[in-house]
Amino acid sequence: MSSLVANAQYSGYKPVADAAAFKVQFAEASKKTNAIKSDFVQEKNLSLLAEKITSKGKFWFKKDNLVRMEYTQPFQYLMILNGTNVYVKDSQKENKVSVKSNKLFQQINKIMVDCVKGEAMQSGDFTVKVFENSSSYLAELIPVDKNMKKLFKNINMIIEKKSFGVTAIEMHEPSGDNTVINFVNRELNTNLPDALFTIH
Amino acid sequence: MRYLLFISIVLCCTACSSSYKALQRTEANPSCVKKFKPAFATALYTTQVDVIGKHLSGLLIIKTMPDSSVRIVFSNEAGFKFFDFGFGQDDFKVYYVFDQMDKKAVIKTLRKDFELVLMRHLDAQQSYTAKESQGLYHVFPDGRDIYYYITDGACDSLIRMERGSKRKKVVEAFIQPGADNVPDSIGIRHYNFNFDIQLKRLQRDAQ
Repeated sequence: MSSLVANAQYSGYKPVADAAAFKVQFAEASKKTNAIKSDFVQEKNLSLLAEKITSKGKFWFKKDNLVRMEYTQPFQYLMILNGTNVYVKDSQKENKVSVKSNKLFQQINKIMVDCVKGEAMQSGDFTVKVFENSSSYLAELIPVDKNMKKLFKNINMIIEKKSFGVTAIEMHEPSGDNTVINFVNRELNTNLPDALFTIH
Repeated sequence: MRYLLFISIVLCCTACSSSYKALQRTEANPSCVKKFKPAFATALYTTQVDVIGKHLSGLLIIKTMPDSSVRIVFSNEAGFKFFDFGFGQDDFKVYYVFDQMDKKAVIKTLRKDFELVLMRHLDAQQSYTAKESQGLYHVFPDGRDIYYYITDGACDSLIRMERGSKRKKVVEAFIQPGADNVPDSIGIRHYNFNFDIQLKRLQRDAQ
């Protein structure tokens, strides 16, 4: 019965028989990923409005907790997560904040870094179910924290079977709206200068 | 001490001064401003908000729904939603508001700001037009709030929009007209506290 429910929920996916083994394999692969350089396409889907807002940009990740997301189309926006600091530059202003002083950035920061590092599944912040099709795993993360539940119904990570790399992150809101980030042209363990993540 | 006294006098004078003292009623028909009412099928704007020293940016989408209500959704660039408001013919609905913004005063202020720009009060019963040196003030009362649309003397161009009381301006808004009666840019400035909203239309060429 649960299989039928799962299939109805995620078309083409079925539950993974040995989720524990998957988690071990995924954690092993994540340990070996020290850096990621990728393009991304982000889609914000507003369900009731039947509208989709698409943006594109470049993404860099370097262990342990350095992330740079640079939106280039159709607007310019730069976000650097460097440990506990966040730098944001929009078309008019630049802003530095400590995630410690900003709950919103703290939550986004943690989700982003935990998903990319593959730690979200072990963090205890989510209950996790894993599904698979022929080429990908789908890890469904349901928040445990009540405040997080208000923001996200579930967060799905799409993981490529051959590399155990995260190829997409879907953030589903309780309203039915969602944000999907697809990572394309991914390069693993390339040499990324620290300057990319420097917050001046 | 003298400085404080000076500030007090200035503040007192500012508080006592009337923004609309010089207005003189005319027989002109205020409904001439209906032609300036923006028609948002769907429009996407990059958005800058400055509020009491804090800066926020994101994307704001305005869409007219099949039932002719208008939905306004504001999220940050990464997709994190701040609010989702619906402006019906006679009602206002909060579909979503982010916890930290979920305050009656914040929602009320935003609702009135967007109602000013969407020109939602043009059917007000006690509307009238008044004259002033700068042009015509088309006045639409809504309870204690009054919505003013200021045009040139011939009502050929909309100069700005204001919300206030009978005496005092609270908010001022400017619209830069664009194609299909959809504004290219919108600016909203508050006079009672530091709160500015700037919207610039985004061509969705990435899609």
